[in-house]
Order: sequence, then C-alpha cells, then structure tokens
Amino acid sequence: MADAAADFRDERPSLPGVWLQRVWRLYPIAVVLAAWEIIAHSGFISPLLLPPIEKVAHEFWQMTASGDMAFHGAITLQRALIGFSAAIIVGIILGTALARNRIVNRVLEPIFIFGYPIPKISLYPIFIFVFGFGDMSKIVLVFLECLYPITIQTMHGMRSAERVLVWTAQNAGASGMRLFWRVLVPSAAPAIFAGIRIALPISMIVTIITELIGESRGLGYVVAFASASFEPARAMAAFAAIAMIGFFFDRSLSWLRKKALYWQADAPAFS
Amino acid sequence: MTESAQVQPKTSAGAEAPQTAREPLLRVDSLVKTFVRKGVRVTALDGFNLTVDEGEFVAIVGPSGCGKSTFLHMLGGFESVDGGTMTLNGRRVAGPGPDRGMLFQEYALYPWRTVLGNVLWPLEVQNIPPAQRNTTAERLLTLVGLTHFRNHYPNELSGGMKQRVALARLLALNPQILLMDEPFGALDAQNRELLQEELERIWNTSRKTVLFVTHDIDESIYLADRVIVFTARPGRIKADIRIDLPRPRAMEIKKSAQYIEYRNRIWDLLREEVLRARSEHAP
Amino acid sequence: MTGQTAALAETMPEPKTAFAERRGAGWLIPLAVLLAWELCGQFGMLPRYIVAPSRIGATWWGMLVSGELTGHAASSLFRQSLGLLIGASCGTIVGVLAGVFAPISRFYEPLVSLIYPVPKVAILPLIFVWFGLGDLSKIVVMTISIFFPTYIAAYHGAKSVQKIHIWTALNAGATRARLIRQVVIPSALPDIFNGWRIGLALSFVLMVTTELVVSTKGLGYVIARAEENLRFDRMYAAILTIAILGFCADRLLLKLRGYLLVGQLMSKDSGHG
Repeated sequence: MADAAADFRDERPSLPGVWLQRVWRLYPIAVVLAAWEIIAHSGFISPLLLPPIEKVAHEFWQMTASGDMAFHGAITLQRALIGFSAAIIVGIILGTALARNRIVNRVLEPIFIFGYPIPKISLYPIFIFVFGFGDMSKIVLVFLECLYPITIQTMHGMRSAERVLVWTAQNAGASGMRLFWRVLVPSAAPAIFAGIRIALPISMIVTIITELIGESRGLGYVVAFASASFEPARAMAAFAAIAMIGFFFDRSLSWLRKKALYWQADAPAFS
Repeated sequence: MTESAQVQPKTSAGAEAPQTAREPLLRVDSLVKTFVRKGVRVTALDGFNLTVDEGEFVAIVGPSGCGKSTFLHMLGGFESVDGGTMTLNGRRVAGPGPDRGMLFQEYALYPWRTVLGNVLWPLEVQNIPPAQRNTTAERLLTLVGLTHFRNHYPNELSGGMKQRVALARLLALNPQILLMDEPFGALDAQNRELLQEELERIWNTSRKTVLFVTHDIDESIYLADRVIVFTARPGRIKADIRIDLPRPRAMEIKKSAQYIEYRNRIWDLLREEVLRARSEHAP
Repeated sequence: MTGQTAALAETMPEPKTAFAERRGAGWLIPLAVLLAWELCGQFGMLPRYIVAPSRIGATWWGMLVSGELTGHAASSLFRQSLGLLIGASCGTIVGVLAGVFAPISRFYEPLVSLIYPVPKVAILPLIFVWFGLGDLSKIVVMTISIFFPTYIAAYHGAKSVQKIHIWTALNAGATRARLIRQVVIPSALPDIFNGWRIGLALSFVLMVTTELVVSTKGLGYVIARAEENLRFDRMYAAILTIAILGFCADRLLLKLRGYLLVGQLMSKDSGHG
C-alpha cells in the first residue's frame, strides 16, 4: 500500500525535451490508426466497408482539388454559423430579459424549463413544412437548439452578478446602460461564454443531422450519399472534414476564451 | 520557576536525562526533506531529530512554512522521505498505516456517509465484527458528545462538530500515536477553546501519545506535556520545553503565572524565528 | 473540456431553483398564453402547422388508448435505454479507471481530446452500412456519442478526489479495491451523475434523429409518417410523448441523484451553530 499515494500523482515519462514528450503522448492515436490500417489490409473486412487510410486520404485530396469539399463545406459552415450567431444575439437579449424583468421571466421561463429536455430535432419536420427543404429550415433548427444553452447561461450569469459589485457601482453613481455594460456584462461574461461554448458544437451537430435527413448539399449530405452508394472512402473523407471543423471550432473557442476572459484562469483541460 | 522549562541546544534534541531505561515510542533520526518549488530546491527539514515517549502529548509550534506539517505528513507516510529514519515502537515507518492516525485541519470526513458511518468506517476497514463495531462507535460518539447527531451528514454540522466527528473516527482507528495537523486551525476563537477543553478531557481518559502541530502558542501550552519550537526553514528544533502544569487542566490555568511565563518564553523564541525568516526572505 | 461538461450539466435546469418561488399567481401568465392559443385554434386563426392544444390532447389520448403510442414508445425507449446504458456504463467505468490509473488516462487522453469535439453523429450513414438499418446501428451510434461526455465527467470526478480523503483511507489501512469502491466512486458520483444527465439528453436527441433518418417503428417514425400525410396533430402527439418521456426520465435521474447523494448535495453553510 506504500506506493498507493504515489499512484494517484500524475507522473509523466521523463523524456528529453518538451516537444518529444508531447509527440510521445500522442502514441494512442498512432495505435488506433495502425490497427485500422492492419485490419483494412488484412482482407477480413471488405474494402467496401473499411477502406485503408491512404485511400481515404487520396479521396480527401481529390475532393479538395475538385472544389467539392470547399463547396459542401462552405454550405455546412454557413448554416451552422448563421444559426449560431443569431442564437448568440437573441440568447443574450432573452437571457438578460429573463434575469432582470419579472414579466418576461413569468412568460418565458416555463418554455425554457420544460422545453429543455425536449429534443428540438423532433420539430424539424414541421420546420421543413413551413420553411421548405432549403437552408432556412436548417438554420431555424440550429438557432433554436443553440438558443437554449446561451439563454439559460446568460440568465444565470446575470442573476448571479455579485450584489456587492452592483452596489459598489451604484454607490459610485453608475446606473442604466453604464451599469449594464460595465458591471453586469463583464460579470456575466464567463457564464455567457460557457453557454456559447456549449452551443458551438451543437450548431455543427444539428446542421449535420438536418443534412442527413433530407438535403442535396452540405458535408452531412456527402457522408449520407456516399455511404448509400457504397463509397466509404468518400464518406470518410467528408467525415474527416466535418471532424476538422469540429476540432477547429473547439480550439478557436479555447483560444478566444483565454483572450476575452483574461481575468478568469481557465483550468487546462486534461492537465 | 524556570527550572522545569529547560531550553536545549538544537543538536541534542530528545536527549533528556531522566528517561534512560525505556525505549521511546517514536524515534526520528536525522530526517531530511527537500522539494522543488518553482524550479528552486528548498530544504524543508535538514537532519531533524526527535523522540517521543509513550503517553506523551507533544505540541510542535513554529513559524509558518517551517516544515512542521511536512514532518507530520512524512510520519503519516503520505510524503516521501529524502533521508534519515523514523521508528515507531521499534518498527521503521514506511508508507501510511493504521498505527499512526491522522487528524486534518480540513476534517476529511466523507460527506457521503453519516456521522455514525464515518466513525464506523475505520472499524469496517479493520474488519471488526459488526456488533463490536457498533458498540465502539456509539461509545466514541458519546465521548465526543454527538450521539444525537449520529444520523446527520457532515455537511449539516458546524466546523467544531465536524472536527469532533473526525476525532471520534480517529479514536475508532485506535492508533499507537495520534498525529494532529493544526486540527483547530479552521475554527473560530470560541469553538477553538471548546474543542481544546474537549480534547484535554478526552486525552486525560485515554492518555494516547499525541503529536500536535499548531501555530497557536496558547493551544500548545494548554494541551501539551512538551512544546517543541521549530526554527524557520530548514526546520530544526530550537527549543524543547516541558510544560509542568497539573492535569486535568481548566481554562483558568491560562491565567496562572506559570502559564504566562511559558507563554512569554515561547513567544520570544518564536518571534526570533519569524524575524529571522523574514530577514532571510528580504532581498 | 472538463469545464464544458460541468457547464453543460449546470445549464440543465434544477427543479427546485426554478419553481420553488413560483406560487399560484406565477402560473397565471403561462396559463393565459395556453388559453389564447386554444381560442385562436377554435376560431380558425392558426396556420395549418400549429394545432390547438385540445386537438393535440384528443389525438394523443386516442393514440394512447388504441395502444399505438405505447407500441412506438416502447420500441423507441428500448433502443434509447440500451444505447444509454451501454454507452454511459462504458464511459463511467473507463473514466473512473482512467482517473485512478495514470497509464489508462495517458492512453485515452489524446483520443478523447481529438474525438470529443467532433460531431460523431455524422458517422451515422457509415454505421448503417456497417451494421445494417436495424436497431443495432442506432444503438451503436448512441453508445459512441454517449461514451465521451460520461467518460469525461467520470474521469474528472475520479481525478478530483480530495487528497486528504485518499490519505484518510490509506491511513486506516484500506486496500486499493476498497479505496476505489468506498472513496473514489462515492466522491466522483456527483460528476458521474452530471455525465449521465448529459448522456440521457443526448440519447433522446439521437433516438429521434436516428428514427427520422431510417425507421419502421418508434416515435420518430410516427413523426416522419405524419409529415408525409400532413397529420400535424399526430406529429404533435408524438412530440408531446417524447417531451413527457424525456422530462420524466430527467426527473427520475434527478430523484435518484437526490437519494444517492443526500450528504453531498447539502449546502456546506447550513450547519448548526
């Protein structure tokens, strides 16, 4: 039992050089890729189901060169980002109103409380009927899904703005817009940011889902169509592009958070 | 009035003349502890010696950061030892074990267990039969005066009550030596005094060996048979003072001339160290 | 990333905080809105795709009595609960182990931080190719998606066990197995519940999604069919059922949490003086 306490301490292998250590830490990814490659070449599984990595890479390159990737990628990104941006604007306004206005709170809070566990995706067929199969129905669904976390987090943030800070500001003669911009917004900013952070990946997920259900453009459609026509390499290449967008979103948000909320130390993920 | 309080030179700690025949319960020999903080190697303990006899209540006071808590954690087996040895009852200390029970400032109660559940826990670990477990736990809850709270959860209790639960749990473990790491440090002044009285009362009934780390001089004199004053880092023994106050001790003892004499003496010793530590840290 | 799961769970409303202060009159405004909606429906002032509450209720009741609804709901819930149980169990077990044993976390850490931000639902068409169009594919997609948030939550919980709690256990002479069972897991349980709550919400989203893409039975299938026939009342009845099930499942999980975590959920400053 003597070393049990030591086991709970995270001790990293001591290789020379920080960079070498960082690269070494990525070995599990290499393990997974190698396993994929071995299985794909072994012949146990038909290449129609699992193509080797080089084939996927080749397909990715071809789609990039032909402009297919940019075309579909731009459409997917556009839908996700428009719905997401609209949700940020409306969500912050709604969240603030919910936190600071009694009547708004009474009317809207039940919708947000009871609506939360409902998968909004189940409303998508109705949106298709109202807005058609094109961009609009998808953007509306993305907007609705992203609206919930942003609104609720903004509401929490605005409510928990420390009373002492508000009093201090009022004591110094601040009121109205000044109080709002100088005290409430900065103190609610971490919560608002948390909502945005939840919403961004959701925007991508919902866009992809809508493209899987019914569409003829966008990366989700490419995955669905290529799979249905037994072109898994093409489907995987499109999936890789989706994965990259998701990964890029995540990283840029972490970066932005560090810049915008410099006074809040962010505990490093998986330190 | 000072003959009882003998100040010893740093090097000959533990070499007390009268006790010759009995082997001390705890013997610490030239203990070393270093650690790296912000890239700089810091020596917390450098050749530290101490002996504690069975049934002694020993308090350790010292300037903050002098390594007194580190020493207790090493003795508990939670921190690595960089040199020297510690022997408890003739056996070398290596790793944590139930022969050395620890009481933390932060209580360390399990919030998912009730008061009774917390006290029962060490007995479960030790595989004591259930019937005996319950009698022991109930007896200890009576001892710390918390029988009515047996089904409460720790988060429902005040800090003082939590520490009493932790004390009951520690006694349930029934270790050979009790290690207390500033146990009352997080309490307010009134609760702290109450707990001191309570600990003194409980200790008089069991006379367990105790090592008690604190930064509160009053607490150390009131509770201990011996007060050990640490130097600033690296921690060594600056003084080893025997407290000859009669037991059981009432709070009124703090007003006695003898007590005040001890207090002034320790205060001066500690002040010297604090000033020295500050001048060394200054550029 | 760990912060994200925590924030996500925080976003999900707690029943107490939202409704404790809402008494009597607080319900008047929502009720008035509902009444206005109904009246508009009665006077034919609503567009076709918005159905009056009374008609949704009537259709819902009719479908329930005929047994149609229960059959579809059972089919949906079967896949949803299997996907949730498998995915969340795997995520929790691996997460706790990774929190305790450093080599396991070193293996999963880069994989999870690479895959977690990826919209994994995009792989659904490929899963259909690999595992067929039946239940298996749907359960596989749920399992994959739910694994990640539950893993991260459990890992974070197991990792942030207080040092003195571990020390206290080692001090009493507890074995490694007992330490994990009686200290690490109870202490990680609040985080584990957060992960399961996210997983539960995700399982309902994926239940509907997978059924909208391909299905022959289930509530999502009812919605898809109703759309083709422009039976909006049936569509809303199915949505209402999903909402009720999702809401109840969430409350059930919260009840279970409240029961299992009594001691931990108590606020720390409500102690006796």
